[in-house]
Amino acid sequence: MDEQTVLARTRGYVQEAFLYMRPGLALRDHDRLFEKGVIDSMGVLELIGFLETEFGVAVRDDEISEENLGSLDGIARYVVSRRGNGSRP
Amino acid sequence: MCGLAGIARREPSGVAVETLDRMAATLRHRGPDGFGRFAGARVGLAHVRLSIIDLAGGAQPLGNEDGQVLVVYNGEIYNYVELRADLERRGHRFRTQSDTEVLVHAYEEWGAGAVLLERLNGQFAFAIYDRRTETVLLARDRFGVRPLFYSEQNGDLLFASEIKALFASGEVPAVPDLQGLDEVFTFWAARPPRTVFQGVRSLEPGCYAVWRDGRLRVQRYYALQYAEAAAESPEDAGRLEDLLHSVVGLRLRADVPVGGYLSGGLDSSVTCTLAAAMSPHQLRTFSVAFEDRRLDEREFQLLVARELKSQHAVQAIGPADVARVFPEVVRHTETPLVRTAPAPLFLLSRLTRQHGIKVVLTGEGSDELFLGYDLFKETAVRLFCLRQPGSRVRPRLLDRLYPYLDARGRRGEFWHRFFLEAGPPGDPLFSHLPRVRLTAHIKEFYSADVRAALTGTDPLDELRASLPPEFPAWSPLNRAAYLEIVTLLSPYLLSSQGDRMSLAHGVEGRFPFLDHRLFEFAARLPTRSKLRGLREKDILRRWARDVVPPAVVERPKQPYRAPDIAAFFTPELVWYARELLDEPSLVRTGLFDPRSVAGLLRRCRAGSAVGYRENQAFVAVLSTQLWHHQFMEESARAPSGVVPAPDPALAERAVSS
Repeated sequence: MDEQTVLARTRGYVQEAFLYMRPGLALRDHDRLFEKGVIDSMGVLELIGFLETEFGVAVRDDEISEENLGSLDGIARYVVSRRGNGSRP
Repeated sequence: MCGLAGIARREPSGVAVETLDRMAATLRHRGPDGFGRFAGARVGLAHVRLSIIDLAGGAQPLGNEDGQVLVVYNGEIYNYVELRADLERRGHRFRTQSDTEVLVHAYEEWGAGAVLLERLNGQFAFAIYDRRTETVLLARDRFGVRPLFYSEQNGDLLFASEIKALFASGEVPAVPDLQGLDEVFTFWAARPPRTVFQGVRSLEPGCYAVWRDGRLRVQRYYALQYAEAAAESPEDAGRLEDLLHSVVGLRLRADVPVGGYLSGGLDSSVTCTLAAAMSPHQLRTFSVAFEDRRLDEREFQLLVARELKSQHAVQAIGPADVARVFPEVVRHTETPLVRTAPAPLFLLSRLTRQHGIKVVLTGEGSDELFLGYDLFKETAVRLFCLRQPGSRVRPRLLDRLYPYLDARGRRGEFWHRFFLEAGPPGDPLFSHLPRVRLTAHIKEFYSADVRAALTGTDPLDELRASLPPEFPAWSPLNRAAYLEIVTLLSPYLLSSQGDRMSLAHGVEGRFPFLDHRLFEFAARLPTRSKLRGLREKDILRRWARDVVPPAVVERPKQPYRAPDIAAFFTPELVWYARELLDEPSLVRTGLFDPRSVAGLLRRCRAGSAVGYRENQAFVAVLSTQLWHHQFMEESARAPSGVVPAPDPALAERAVSS
């Protein structure tokens, strides 16, 4: 699965789960989800649930970071690299 | 426990008995045992009674010897025995054994002000009409256990235990107060004196108001103070023991058996244990148990009940139960809610009443006095982290908070940032900013009109401006405790989860931890006697070790929660929610954006709305729609068939005396 596919599906999920009550908000790929108030710490837990079911990656605690989960393009890079590496313990 | 209502006219144009009867009819659930009224030229008073002390002699309105001072009163003055002895020494003569009559004589002796109110130890709201001076005194207890609302209409004053009685007068219109609603979606409740209705005020806890010639003056007689000691004194443990016995002992004063609510936590175990030891009856205890094991605490409840040899009854709660009673719950709370937590308590009071118990002790208040809530630990940890902003280790302490929010205990960087970036320690509201931020998600659902109407208002700024001058001098955790009492305990826990739920079925809750002497003791303790490291309620636990089963004493604090979204989809959305959350209903109400709510419902139906934010938003939107429907659209008419039969003899006596 390539980054564009992951990014598109994740964007769809974020729109559906976090932005349905803010239809006017235009979200760019590199926008910081936390700073823009799209996702908070509770939302991150929901997002992780989505990544695990949708893409089959098991997100470890030390991977819950701005770099990996802070923006749509960051998430896409992270998911692809994790899938590429196979699933680690 | 009881309900009261009344009207004071600026001009002596009379108060119609029909108006008083309509007002009283809406309060009948608070006082099913009796009804009385007084209708004068300037002032009318009505009262519904739940008989607890002096079952035969305590009818109201009750007058003094010459009938010039009349009182309607809701609550208990626990030290009425001592006050009566004092007043008898000062020459007062009593006709009944009731605490109400003590209040009348105390008023005669000490007048309408702090000198009187400071002497009362109890939970009360009352109105005293002094015919000699044509004044009305309204007063409310220190923590706001008992409610008292009022509305000024062209110089007339209308007051009542519940807002629905004001509407039933036909003289107070039901109109939403958007700033009040915005406070609910910030703090979980409107902040007194504001309510969610325009023109309806809640008398602030610890305050009284004097009405005369069409003018009302509100004054405070009790202010929360935190004069923290540098160190715990060797006498403190013994003093706590004495106080606990005293506060529970006083609250067992009743001419009916007193029962107890058992949550399975430390606080209600303490109150029930002391009550079982002091009560002349076998203690009756009552608990809520949930089918959802994540919410359920029955294991600990049964442990304590067995230990106490109490006669124990359990109200089991399945998801369908919450949805079934929720509209009625909202009719009683009279405010939108962000949680369904009141609903199980509504069912619990019904069970209690079915078992013939009309007075219960609960553990409410202990978490505020002894720093029991996770919010206090959160505040301590956030401060600890912010003292060393570069530390990678310190934020890990945040991972230990709110273990119940995620089954797998996952946290990570965002969790830390949520708490650490919520606001600076210099902000007076520092402790409450994360919760406020979380609650404020609900506001994303506001309609454009509501957003526009609220432009330029800020409930946080208003709260900051209301803080007492001593506030900055208190320690951060005492500041947090103060905010918790004024924003959550008084207007939400004691009301929506307290008074309103228990009195929906004529059950009076009593709160030993909210005896002002115990509060003042706890407020003087050094913070570390309460929160030691991350161990909450330390001094209380030390005392309880020899008294309460060890499994309960050592147990970490478990928050009381009830099912939210899941309760309304079983599996279809419950019928009234389908009607109230559809587009036409939402447009008619005008408070929430229909497209946003449709999005939320889509997520709920798909089973994807599992997080805290959406659970809260769903309950907020649904309860607001129910609230609007019941109060603004159906108006606050009395439920059919419960118009009380007036007691002519009593009304006659009050008028002629």
